[in-house]
Amino acid sequence: MTRLSGGLIDRSEHLNFTFDGKSYTGHRGDTLASALLANDVRLMGRSFKYHRPRGVVAAGSEEPNALVELRAGARQEPNTRATVAELYDGLVANSQNRVGSLERDFLAVNDLLSPFFAAGFYYKTFMWPKAFWEKLYEPMIRRAAGLGSLSMLPDPDSYDKGFLHCDLLVIGAGAAGLAAALTAARAGAKVILADEDFRLGGRLMAESHTLDDAAAMDWVASLEAEFASLPNLRVMRRTTVFGAFDHGIFGAVERVSDHLATPGTAVRQTLWRITAKRTVLAAGATERHIPFANNDRPGIMLAGAMRAYANRWAVSPAETVAIFTSGDDGHRTALDLAAKGVTIAGVIDTRADAKALGKYPLFAGAVVSDAKGRLGLERIAVTREGQTSWLDVGALGVAGGWNPNVHLASHHRGRPLWDDAAQAFLPEPGAVPGLTAAGAAAGQGTTAAALASGAAVAQAALAELGITASLPALPRAEDAPQRQAAFWHVPGKGRAWVDFQNDVTVKDINLAHLENMRPVEHLKRWTTLGMATDQGKTANVTALAVMAELTGKTIAQTGTTIFRPPYTGVALSTLGHGDTGTHFRPRRLTPTHEWAKAQGAVFVEVGQWMRAQYFPRKGEKTWRETVDREVLATRAGVGLCDVTTLGKVDVQGADAGEFLNRVYANAMASLKVGMVRYGLMLREDGFAYDDGTCARLAEDHYIVTTTTAQAGPVYRHMEFCRQCLWPELDVQLISTTDAWAQISVAGPNARKLLERVVDGFDLSNEAFPFMACSELTVCGGLRARLFRISFSGELAYEIAVPARYGNALMARMIEVGADLGATPYGTEALGVLRIEQGHAAGNELNGQTTAQMLGMGKMVSTKKDAIGAVMSRREGLLAETRVLVGLQPVDPTQPVTAGSHLFAQGAAQKTETDQGWITSACYSPHVGSMIGLGFLTGGAARMGEVITAANPLQNQQIALRVVPTHFVDPEGGRLRD
Amino acid sequence: MTDLTPMPALGRAAVSSLRAGALTISVNEAVALAGLALRRGAAPPAPMGLVLPGPGRWSAGQAVAAFWTGPGQWMIEAEGRAGEDVARALKTRHPDCSVTEQTDGWVAFEIVSVAGGAPIVRLMEKLINVDAAGFGPGCATRTGLEHMSVFVIRRTEDRLAIIGMRTLAGSLWHAIETAAMRQQEEPA
Repeated sequence: MTRLSGGLIDRSEHLNFTFDGKSYTGHRGDTLASALLANDVRLMGRSFKYHRPRGVVAAGSEEPNALVELRAGARQEPNTRATVAELYDGLVANSQNRVGSLERDFLAVNDLLSPFFAAGFYYKTFMWPKAFWEKLYEPMIRRAAGLGSLSMLPDPDSYDKGFLHCDLLVIGAGAAGLAAALTAARAGAKVILADEDFRLGGRLMAESHTLDDAAAMDWVASLEAEFASLPNLRVMRRTTVFGAFDHGIFGAVERVSDHLATPGTAVRQTLWRITAKRTVLAAGATERHIPFANNDRPGIMLAGAMRAYANRWAVSPAETVAIFTSGDDGHRTALDLAAKGVTIAGVIDTRADAKALGKYPLFAGAVVSDAKGRLGLERIAVTREGQTSWLDVGALGVAGGWNPNVHLASHHRGRPLWDDAAQAFLPEPGAVPGLTAAGAAAGQGTTAAALASGAAVAQAALAELGITASLPALPRAEDAPQRQAAFWHVPGKGRAWVDFQNDVTVKDINLAHLENMRPVEHLKRWTTLGMATDQGKTANVTALAVMAELTGKTIAQTGTTIFRPPYTGVALSTLGHGDTGTHFRPRRLTPTHEWAKAQGAVFVEVGQWMRAQYFPRKGEKTWRETVDREVLATRAGVGLCDVTTLGKVDVQGADAGEFLNRVYANAMASLKVGMVRYGLMLREDGFAYDDGTCARLAEDHYIVTTTTAQAGPVYRHMEFCRQCLWPELDVQLISTTDAWAQISVAGPNARKLLERVVDGFDLSNEAFPFMACSELTVCGGLRARLFRISFSGELAYEIAVPARYGNALMARMIEVGADLGATPYGTEALGVLRIEQGHAAGNELNGQTTAQMLGMGKMVSTKKDAIGAVMSRREGLLAETRVLVGLQPVDPTQPVTAGSHLFAQGAAQKTETDQGWITSACYSPHVGSMIGLGFLTGGAARMGEVITAANPLQNQQIALRVVPTHFVDPEGGRLRD
Repeated sequence: MTDLTPMPALGRAAVSSLRAGALTISVNEAVALAGLALRRGAAPPAPMGLVLPGPGRWSAGQAVAAFWTGPGQWMIEAEGRAGEDVARALKTRHPDCSVTEQTDGWVAFEIVSVAGGAPIVRLMEKLINVDAAGFGPGCATRTGLEHMSVFVIRRTEDRLAIIGMRTLAGSLWHAIETAAMRQQEEPA
């Protein structure tokens, strides 16, 4: 087939491409589909279930059949619609969903077995034998399922995201969209015009109509020139608005580089979030086909698509074509193709009163009842008044009317409304606040009506924003009324396809009806109608009409499915906008990160933080060896650990004490200046929320610390309390977590070490006792804060300096404390030290435990009220006897495994006899075995008892002795030393 | 004067300045920050002679500036005084306010365009969900940038500041650098 005349392709530029390894040539302006058609390739794919040979059906993003694997290697992308793949030199495409060649797909055997694959077959089969499911059926189905294949290689491209704001978003740059954008942009409004195509014009490119007696694209070209001069208008080509979300936000994908062989250094696609005050939905309409027996032969396509290929891409799928129509629109295709020299074998019109609009054979009151040509259409059966004759044609255009593209108007669950006059579903007005449809998307059938409605809708939308817009002078356009009959399928014995992509036939819908799967939602799930990548764009309404016919109801009574985002598929890489690897999410580095890295620390992710987990030394073969050394060094000398990650909240104001009294379960207003108190916060429901310390630097100034994990939530909670619960209190809050580097200095030599860095500050036990705090200076005048608190059970301090000095302070303390055994330790040793000390942490404060369970019941003050205090005294919580206990294996060589459940020795191990669980466990170099903490029923009275820890996952049954939670210095003498 | 050496926000070895087309991005290590909040009944002060701005605004005086961070709350910027205890000085002058040192809580990225406001607007479009058209000189807001909380200040038509958490400096730099570099790489 040679090219037809005209078209919007650049014939001076020849682009080479391959399909299934065979080389072809196309032109700039082609899509892969148009270029294949121009090279006489009608067979482009295989269907999903029956592996039927399929050709292109549409000319846009609604394409259900011509799906290919585009590009090669790591850039291979499955399920790409050939109809929207812009041709470039060197393009590589392969057909998919086949075993063997496209012409001889071995899986076409499925077509012969189709009686077994009727609608809902997978709900009815594979039930027995039961053992076959996992071993045979599921693997078999998984192998057969899906369309294209993934390369399984990392995506080499980069992706981007961005945010745009506008007064008016115009979705679609056809006649209505262009008129809307022109109206709004001339009024000075901030306008975004987005279209999925690479050229502006929409359906104007596919038609032969003139505007003001000139080619329609002349008008589009004049508009593009004007648009370029308007700084308030942003034209976004190759941009699909795929979803309408809350608050006027629309998701859009801009295919920045998909029209290039490789993106080079540029991004491939950009995900835009567009915030629009008002939106015009000018997304056009999608043509319906008419199911008849074997209507899926390659070469049978939508008549509007056939017209688009002829007018825009100067190509016809065959030299002789026929048209099957139920309205006037099909005749237009015949006229346009005939004008370009294509032979029209006939127009088969279902309407008995149809009239020919030109010189071509007309079969009025007839239908196409069958088609032949397995790999490409050869003949069609035309049936009129019970008589069937065959026509030899290479292609058939089918015109069953147009469905407005209402999808985005449904994204807020708006249900499209059936309009009898338009024979179509129209968008529900107001379904998406601020969005109004115009043009074909609103059921406006003619170009003149589309232009006028685009301008009028834009004007009205701007008026709501207080922007006055004048209606522009619009070009004179065709305005002939279009008659459309309601004709939904050709009855007959053969299989008539409704949903090409999912292989759903009229028979399947009939079966669903017989099996009482009649509501639209059931129909969809029973038959898989509309579930594939095209989301039923060419199928759903026809299927509804068929179901309506079967039930004897109207289409309006039958209902409709609604649509969810995305309008067309969006790559996960685009949604993730390229954040992979180290930059998958933000990383917070502690102030001593650089120093720790230089020491060879192994880091661990703790939320967003990267924390030093341990500091291996030469000769240490396992992490346990390192951690044991760090723990023992701390207990014997002095250990240093960066604890900056703990949340810090600065609390000031005359009522700061009262505020904290209400937030903490225990009293804080009574805390003396210069002292620190351990604090416990409860949730409203009485369960433990978070713990930490509260230091009082002045009468009206406290510093609250939180756990690392809860730093953000606790600060938010405190702000909620301040702003919403007690706005009358004079309290000011601000987070200082990042502002101060905080280092724990723990161990018997902690004081000696600190004495070497503080500027003349008295650290004696008398002057600075356990739980004291103070502001001071260190290292020659650097402002600092010192807290004498311990997480390890040792004599310990936490020293804070402005964050930028944290790294240097850590290095300095390690350096000057070398003779004292100064040793850095990481989060692993930190965990061991706290378990040995019996300190609750995140494992114990998991949102399901109470103060009483944690052994802190008495901390919930009865002398004052506080959040959660009353609820913590609920009968159910008071009756709880599980408390935190220490656990030690009877045989020291045995493990203690966190997560294990606790049972009385010899008791049956089931839910009813479950007595608790192990929350934390570690190897304790101090004890010489593994140890654990856990909640145990009646634990307080069971000291010394041997119980069983069951870990069914590893088939462990370990005998544990119940011991106090303090494995080290139970009297607390070291803390106060 | 302490003998400890401060660590730059991006680490000692990292670059702290970048030229990307019309944009220059640099880390401002010298600016001191302090949170200032009114206590009950206090009148807004004029720290260092500066009239404190209203909601969504930033104002600048002689080597001092401030942006609104909440009702009765501001962040004070004192240029070139990061090494000083600016918070203490402010508290001494304004005892009826709560003042908190914030210098090391944040990292300030200063972005300057040599081609007017357009490159700044294009950068904003890629980084933050703020309508650049309504965010002219003197505007300040708190918003999200790649899941990180930041303050953004339009100091002038061609100058933008992004102030984010210091512990996230590396991730912020990566995000800003990537967006700035991509401005040069958009295909025709």
